[in-house]
Amino acid sequence: MSLGHVKRFVLVVLLIAGITGLAQEILPGVTRSEVIIIEDPSGRSLNPTRFNLWGGGVSSWSTGIQQLCLGALWYIDPDAGIEGDTWINLLAADAPIYNNDNTEMTVKLRKGIYWSDGVPFTADDLVFTVETLKNHPEMTWGAYMQVNVKEVKKVDDYTVVFKLVKPNGRFHTIFTVRWSACYVMPKHIFEKVEDPVAFDFYPPIGTGPYVLKSYDPNGYWFLWELRKDWERSDLGVAFGKKPGPKFVLYKGVASPEKKVMDQMAHELDIIHDLPPEGAITLSQNNPYCVTWFNGWPWAHPDPTLPSLIMNHEQFPYNLKEMRWALTLAIDIVQVVLQSYNGCATISPIHVPPTGKGPEWYFDKIEPWLKEFTIKVGSETFKPYDPNIPSKIADAVKYAYGYKVPEDFDQIKKMVGYGWWKYAPDLAEKLLKSVGFKKEKGKWLLPDGKPWKISILCEASTRSVMTRAAAAVAEQWRKFGIDAQIEAVEASMLWNRMNYGEDKDTIYWAWCIETWGGHPDLFWFLESWHSDYYRPTGQTVVAKNPMRYKSEKIDKIIEALRGTDFFKGTEEMINLGLEYVKTCVEDMPIIPMFSYNVFTVCDGYYWTGYPTSNDPYTNPVPNWGNTRFMFLKLQPTGRK
Amino acid sequence: MKNFVRFLSKYFITRLLISLLVIFIGVSIVFLIPRLVPGANPAEMAIRRLQMSGAYLPAESMEKMKQALLKLYGLEGSLLSQYITFWRELLKGNLGPSFASFPTPVITLISRSLPWTVGLLALTAILSWGVGTILGGIAGYKNRGVWVRVVEIVSNAVRPVPYYILALLLLILFAYVLHWFPTGGAYRIGLTPTLSWNFVKSVVKYGFLPALSLIIVGIGAWFLNMRNLVSNITGEYFVSFARQMGLKDSIILKSYVMRLAMPAQLTGLGLQLGFIFNGTIITEIVFNYPGLGTLIYTAIMQSDYNLVMGTTLFSIVAVALATLIVDLLLPFIDPRIQYVPS
Repeated sequence: MSLGHVKRFVLVVLLIAGITGLAQEILPGVTRSEVIIIEDPSGRSLNPTRFNLWGGGVSSWSTGIQQLCLGALWYIDPDAGIEGDTWINLLAADAPIYNNDNTEMTVKLRKGIYWSDGVPFTADDLVFTVETLKNHPEMTWGAYMQVNVKEVKKVDDYTVVFKLVKPNGRFHTIFTVRWSACYVMPKHIFEKVEDPVAFDFYPPIGTGPYVLKSYDPNGYWFLWELRKDWERSDLGVAFGKKPGPKFVLYKGVASPEKKVMDQMAHELDIIHDLPPEGAITLSQNNPYCVTWFNGWPWAHPDPTLPSLIMNHEQFPYNLKEMRWALTLAIDIVQVVLQSYNGCATISPIHVPPTGKGPEWYFDKIEPWLKEFTIKVGSETFKPYDPNIPSKIADAVKYAYGYKVPEDFDQIKKMVGYGWWKYAPDLAEKLLKSVGFKKEKGKWLLPDGKPWKISILCEASTRSVMTRAAAAVAEQWRKFGIDAQIEAVEASMLWNRMNYGEDKDTIYWAWCIETWGGHPDLFWFLESWHSDYYRPTGQTVVAKNPMRYKSEKIDKIIEALRGTDFFKGTEEMINLGLEYVKTCVEDMPIIPMFSYNVFTVCDGYYWTGYPTSNDPYTNPVPNWGNTRFMFLKLQPTGRK
Repeated sequence: MKNFVRFLSKYFITRLLISLLVIFIGVSIVFLIPRLVPGANPAEMAIRRLQMSGAYLPAESMEKMKQALLKLYGLEGSLLSQYITFWRELLKGNLGPSFASFPTPVITLISRSLPWTVGLLALTAILSWGVGTILGGIAGYKNRGVWVRVVEIVSNAVRPVPYYILALLLLILFAYVLHWFPTGGAYRIGLTPTLSWNFVKSVVKYGFLPALSLIIVGIGAWFLNMRNLVSNITGEYFVSFARQMGLKDSIILKSYVMRLAMPAQLTGLGLQLGFIFNGTIITEIVFNYPGLGTLIYTAIMQSDYNLVMGTTLFSIVAVALATLIVDLLLPFIDPRIQYVPS
C-alpha cells in the first residue's frame, strides 16, 4: 500500500469518526436518570399515531397507552396488589353494586380526576363510552355492549346505572383489567368526531399520570412525560403518591441478543421476556439485575396455562383413556429441564399455579389428588406424584448447578405442586383397553394404522414452547408413537387450532387463563359451556378449542354464573374445585405449566421493581396492571 | 429509423405486453392466495389478536363482532365481486385500508417504510455490485497477486457466515464495544425528519452499520460471481488473440472481458433492485431499522390481505420492470445480443 493510499484511508476513517462522533446521546434534552426505558414486546408499531383502542387497528397495546395513559374502572392484580388487595378501584370509587337479580349495575366514580387536557372526568364520559360502543359492534368492546346493555344512564356526575339485557353478575369484568379491559374514552374528544372507528385519537388524552411527549414516526419508541398535574390523574387521586419516573420510554427491541446487550449497557431498564439462557446470563453478569425470584427459577409465572390441546372431534382424541395414556407417557421433569432450563412452574390440574391459585385451589385439591385413582380392568393406580418439585430441584441442581432451597414448601412456591407420574406401563394398559396395539415397539391405532402425532407449536416467538413440544414428542417417540413437532408462527397456530381440522395434531397453546388475584374461573370457563360449542371447521367461540362437552361442566358454569363475584368466594372456590375434579377425571387437555415470563429489570438507574419478596404487581410490562409499578419505582440517583 | 420501428413492432410491444401480463397474473395470484388459505379470515384474525394479547372478549359477543368487522372491511361479497372491486380501486390508485391497522390506508403504511428500504437497499445493492464486479473482474483476469488472494479468502470466509451472526458481530463490535455507532434505529430519538444537516448526519450515522452489513455480504457474492465469469472468458480464443495482437491488458479487460461478463451481472443487479421491495427483515430486526420487511411479515402473519397486496404489488411491478429494462439494455452492452434479426 502506497503512502497515498494510507493517507486516503486515514482521511476516510476521520470522516467517519467526524460523522459518528464519540459520545452516544440517548435522549436529547432528557437526562438518562430521569427516564425509565421499557421494552415494548410488540416491536415496531406500524401505525404509531393510532391510539384508538376502542376503534381497533392499534399495532401495539404496550406502547404505554394502556399502562400510563388510559384508565379503567377496576383492576384485579394477578399478584398481591399495590396495597395488599388484588381488587383495585381506579376510576371507580368502589366495587360495582348489583341489584338482587343482577339486571342492574351501579357504578360510583371517583371525584377529582381530570383528563390530561384539564377537563374533569365524570359520569358523562362513561355513559358516552358505552353508548358509542353499543352503536358500533365493530369496535373492540362494541359487540359486548350491544349484547349486554339495555340502557346506560347517568344518575349524577359521579354515578352511572347500567340496565342489563339479562341477569349478569359478571358484567363488570368487561371494565376490569387483567391484562386489559374496556377503558373509558374522553367524551369531549370523541363527541366531536364523525367516525369513532376511523379516528386515530392522536394525541391521546387519558386519565393516567403520563402524557405522550414524543414518538418515533417509524414506530419503534414512545416517550411519555409525567403530568404536571399528576395529583389530578387517576393514580394521583386514588393513591396520592407521585410516580417515580419523570419520563417513560417504551421501545421495541426484536432481537433477544440485543435486549441482553442493551441491558448490560444499562440502556434498557425492563426486558419484557427472554429465553431462559438470556435471563440467566444477565442475572449472572449484571450486578444490578432484578428478577421475580432472586435466583432459580427467576421467572414470573403468569396466570396462563400452556397445555397440550386435543380436538375431541378427531379420533382418537375423543378417548379419555388415550388422553390419560398420553399424560402418563410424559416425564414432566425432563420436559421442564429441556424447555425452561428447570424454571417452569408445573400444574397437574386445569388451573394455573400462580397468584393466589395455590392457596385457593392447589392446597385444597392436593389431598384429593393423592387419592385419585385410575382403573384399568381390575387394576387401580394412583397417578399423582407430589414429589415432582423435589425431583425438579434435584435435577436442576445436578444439571445446571443452580442454588436451590432445601425447604420443600419453598420449592413448591417456586416450581409448583406435584404432577402426574411417568408411568408408561400403565399408559400401555390404558391404550390396550381401548383397542390400541403395539407391534415391534410401535403403537397402532385400533384400526391397525400407525399412530402418528404432530405437535403444533409456536416457533421463534416463544422458543420455550418449541422446546417443550420437542421434549414431549421425544418422550412419546420413546413410548412408541410416531410423534413429531411442527413449529409455526403464532397466528398460524391459533388459527389452525381454532378450526381444529388438522388430522393427527395436538396443539401446544393455552385456553385456560385466570385472574390470578381472584378465584372466579368464569372468565375463561364460560365459553366451555355447550351453548357455545362449535364443531370442527367452524372457528371456536373463545376458549374451547378442544371441543369438550360435559354436562357436569355445564352445570358448574351455570352455578358460577349465579354466584356473587364479591361475596361468594367460598362458593366460587368450591365450584372451581368441582371443575378441577371433573377435568382431572376427563383430562380434556393435558395441563403442563404456567406461562413463565423472564422479565428482567436493571437496578442501575431504578429501584422498587416488583419481586416475589414484594409482589405488589406483575412486572411483565405489556400488562395494563403495570401502571401501579410506577408508584413504587424510584431513581437510584446514579447519573 | 426503420430499425427502430421494427424493434418497436417486433420486440418492444410484445415484451411490454408480456411484462403487463406478468404483473396482472402476479397480482391476481397474490389476491387469491390469502383468500384461499383456510382460516385466514381478517375479521377472525382481528379477534384472535385481541384474544392472544389477553383482551377479554366474552363468548356471546364474538360472532357479532366478526360479522361487524367483515362488513367494515368490505369482505362480505363473493370472491368475484371482491376481485372486480379490487381491480377497480387499484386502477384508481387505491390499495384500500390495512385490516390489521384499520383504518390506516395501505399506501400510508407503505409510504412510511418505503423510503428507508429503498434508500438503504438501493445504495448498498449498487455499491456492493459496483465494487464486487470491478474487484471480481480484475481478480478473474489477473488471477494472481497477494491482494487477489486476500480478497478471495475474505469473500469465501464471509459468504458462509449467516447474515444474522455477521450483523450481530458488527453491532457488538461497533456499537457496544467501541461505541462508534448507535445500537439501532433510523435516526436519533427526538429528531424530526427534515432536510437539515443534523438529520442527514444522524441518518448516515444510524444507517452505517446496517449498510455495512449488507455491503460486506453483497460484495463477496458479486466478487465471486464476477471472478468466475471473467476466469471463463479469459480462456476464450479471442482473448488470447487480443493478447497476441499486443493490446494493453487494461483494454482487453475493459472492452473484451468485462463487457462480455456484464449481461449476467446486470441481470442479477436488475433482479436484486426489483427484490428491494421485499425489504430485509433480518436487518430490520437486528438494527431496529424501519422498512418494508417487517411490514410484509406482519401483513402475512395477520392475514392483512390489502397490505400483502400492496407490498407485493410494488415488488411484482419492480421485478417485471427491472427485467424489462435489463432486457432492453443488454444489446447495448453485448453486441452479440440482438432481438430483431438484422
